[in-house]
Amino acid sequence: MADLPPMTTVKRWLVTTNHKDVGILYIATAIFFLLLGGAMALIFRIQLWEPGGVGILTGNEFNQAVTTHGLLMVFWFLSPIASGFANYLVPLQIGAKDLAFPRMNALSYWFYLFSGVLLIISFFQQGTFAGGWTMYAPLNVPTYTPAMEATTGGNAVILGLMLFVISITIGTVNFLVTIHRSRAEGLGLWNMPMFTWSWLLTVWMMLFAFAALLAALLLLVSDRVLLTQYFATDQGSSLLWAHLFWFFGHPEVYIVFFPALGIMFETFQTFTGRRLVGRKWVIIAMVLVAVQSFLVWMHHMFLTTINLEIKTLMMATTIGISLPFDLMVFALIYTMVKGRVRFTTPFLFSLGALVLFILGGITGVFLGAVVLDYEFRGTYWVVAHFHYVMVSGVTALVAGLYYWWPKITGKMYSETLGKLNFAVYFIGFNMLYFPMFLAWETPRRVFHFAEGAQIYHRVATVGAFILGLSFLIMILTFAKSWVSGPDAPDNPWEFSRTAEWAVPSPPPLENWDGRPSYASGRLEFVEDSPAATDGGVAHGQGNQAEATIEHEEEHADHASIWPFGIGVGTFVFFLGLSGLTPYIVDFAEGTPNPPEGLTTVPEPSMLYPILTVLGIGIMGVTLYKFGMEDFEVPEMNIAERWPFGGVGNTKFGVWVFLASDVVVFGAIIGAYIFMRIHMGWHEWTTVPFASWPGLLNTYVLLTSSFTVILALVMAERKNKKGLLGAMTATLLLGLTFMGVKAYEYSVKFADGEYWWYGLEYSIYYVTTGMHALHVILGLFIAVFMIYRIISVDAYLEDHRPVEFFGLYWHFVDIVWVLLFPLFYLM
Amino acid sequence: MADLRTYTIIYVLLLVLGTGKFVFFEFDFAYSVAIGGTILLAVAKIGLIAAYYQHLIEEPRSITYMMATAVFMVFLLTIAAGYSIQ
Ligand code: HEM
Ligand SMILES: [Cu+2]
Repeated sequence: MADLPPMTTVKRWLVTTNHKDVGILYIATAIFFLLLGGAMALIFRIQLWEPGGVGILTGNEFNQAVTTHGLLMVFWFLSPIASGFANYLVPLQIGAKDLAFPRMNALSYWFYLFSGVLLIISFFQQGTFAGGWTMYAPLNVPTYTPAMEATTGGNAVILGLMLFVISITIGTVNFLVTIHRSRAEGLGLWNMPMFTWSWLLTVWMMLFAFAALLAALLLLVSDRVLLTQYFATDQGSSLLWAHLFWFFGHPEVYIVFFPALGIMFETFQTFTGRRLVGRKWVIIAMVLVAVQSFLVWMHHMFLTTINLEIKTLMMATTIGISLPFDLMVFALIYTMVKGRVRFTTPFLFSLGALVLFILGGITGVFLGAVVLDYEFRGTYWVVAHFHYVMVSGVTALVAGLYYWWPKITGKMYSETLGKLNFAVYFIGFNMLYFPMFLAWETPRRVFHFAEGAQIYHRVATVGAFILGLSFLIMILTFAKSWVSGPDAPDNPWEFSRTAEWAVPSPPPLENWDGRPSYASGRLEFVEDSPAATDGGVAHGQGNQAEATIEHEEEHADHASIWPFGIGVGTFVFFLGLSGLTPYIVDFAEGTPNPPEGLTTVPEPSMLYPILTVLGIGIMGVTLYKFGMEDFEVPEMNIAERWPFGGVGNTKFGVWVFLASDVVVFGAIIGAYIFMRIHMGWHEWTTVPFASWPGLLNTYVLLTSSFTVILALVMAERKNKKGLLGAMTATLLLGLTFMGVKAYEYSVKFADGEYWWYGLEYSIYYVTTGMHALHVILGLFIAVFMIYRIISVDAYLEDHRPVEFFGLYWHFVDIVWVLLFPLFYLM
Repeated sequence: MADLRTYTIIYVLLLVLGTGKFVFFEFDFAYSVAIGGTILLAVAKIGLIAAYYQHLIEEPRSITYMMATAVFMVFLLTIAAGYSIQ
């Protein structure tokens, strides 16, 4: 494998898998999307200058601007910039050389970038999505979108968001494995730096929350592209969306806030010269919030038809969740009181974040009370509340930028400019968002409001431009530092204590020479002799010759072009999918029972099917190359691994992935149960023409699970023939399963009963189809593995891949255990 | 890892349990009995597959807890949402 080209070349950034490079890519890309989302906001703030609008946007354009502003800020800016910090700093803070799966890390980045490109392209597909960032049903499906031309652009946005979620999922698996299994010796969980703690909890929340969003988006894409009916009926569709979305959405608001909180803790400690007061309790409070975040989601549904009992319960849990937050706020305040504060730029931003958060949090508690929310729901009060909390998070993230800028770039910035930046920022922020509380009676997402509110909206618009200006000052400050700032020392802050400050600014490619260890109670770099560590992780420096030999053995790869390639392929594929709706409509209209209500659809364009096929082709080649590439990532020999010692990195990664897939599938099955309850359990029409194909497939799949286990046993016995036979049997059984499925579908099609025929049909086809898709993916892997067994006698020495494949395959079997009774029997 | 014999026994058990669900619904059981019985059978099957075929019993307990959390999330979502429209 080639080594990394220098930073000044474009190639470096295309092939890099190093966590610090990927971190920089994330941060830079996120700031680009911040500017884009900011531009949207400025445009619609101008429109809001007068009641009824000044006329720079049409109604639909206004909706598009508001929608993409929200989506860009929440998804493409807030989480990714935190991801960037985490990429750069978490390995440094825990004493690792890189993330557990560097190529996967690069892949998450490219998926993220291309998902944003999809969103940008959507503007040029006759208009982007306009249904609000919450994508409430039924405004999220074509039938109910007034501008039917926007179907393609809307599809591109939803698909882009789906790709974004996939990127998040990959990143989540990577960080969970890394933080749990690559901590330096002696670094127990309790002793981890606060930023790493906040990120660890963030990724745990992401794992479960984003899986629910992925399920919701899969169903939505199916509605939009294939014309299923999940979100288009009057039989519970809008409630289904609200449940799925907010089950994700409430944890999401903490997901975007936690990293900011982590930065506040770090900077408060550094600039007060004092350890966080009640550090242990703060950690416990954060864990509590992370758990509770999954118990409050229906406070976003107080104005829907859910019953009063559950509303009351959610009111109680919502008030409950503000308690641990209080503890954190007081911890920060006491740390400040007890320490000696140094008012540097990062500290000012963090302090500002704290002040703003307090105001935002208090106004949130108002919204958590059912009766008050009846009045506030859908008004500028909500808009003001969540901007105070979310943009308080942004404030802390800016603090993080200033705090770590010297580490990342090796340059100091001008404190004067930084403080100017803060002053303008703080004034702009409050001018923009505070008047929204006063203008609270204005309905959100609308540019008509009472004359009396005009003054508030005008102040807000001026504030928006001032806030925008502050970001220009920030960029100027950083640009100036980059060009002519003085060099930064290893540690420019007197009282910083975390490990990233113990290495040069910027840190070398592999972070440390020796092996970082906390065994003695403080950070040390130990030189392991190769004998002592059977193989050795350290690149010894004492004896040059010995060091070189060792380096040969333990050479870690850092460059691969295939993550980028897979990103391109997936991007082309998704772009192709965005324009397939018209073809499906054409097809549906040729069947006996076409769906209702689809009158105006964009003209089919040949471009899209071509892109779809091309995308699949590129994905096929690049995934194959990725699978064949020799990419060495040494696992740390000595590390803290609680509580996930005793499994390898990859196996743990597979399990984490399966945990997220449990929630994806579980949410899809949950959607079935919910819709059936809504309809009346016994009103349901069973779709399959008979139950025997389901039973037959149960036998087929169970048998294939047995052959996969057989394959593992054979691999352990180094029996090539047996391994090959068992894998081939698995492949054939999988194909049999698909054959039975195809027969079953075809019987229904023959009667003209396609997936748009009714809600039950949509749910049956989509759920079993998702399962079939999993089977097909498994079959591709099986083919690849059989090819490897035949061509290079693979898996006889190292049978783990067979085991990992088995874990996945058994999971697919488990899903069928549920689908069979649910769809064929009950 | 368990040996081939254990795996084979489990395979046979799984086939039997799978057939059991079908029996519940094809023969004259009360609907509620059939549902209850099927749920039990499904849980047993999933338990067997996860414990032995995915050999969770041999892994650190923390992995089981993680998977249990994921399953809990699904139940939480489904039951609370289902209850909210009662
Ligand atoms: C500290 C305690 C908090 C409480 C009690 C609280 C409560 C609420 C409630 C009840 C709503 C629903 C209002 C409605 O739509 O009628 C809401 C909306 C919202 N909150 Fe909070 N919140 C809190 C903190 C936060 C934090 C920390 C964030 C993010 C950093 C946040 C972000 C949001 C967002 C984005 C919405 C609006 C979603 C939308 O409808 O577009 N909240 N909050
Ligand atoms: Cu919420």
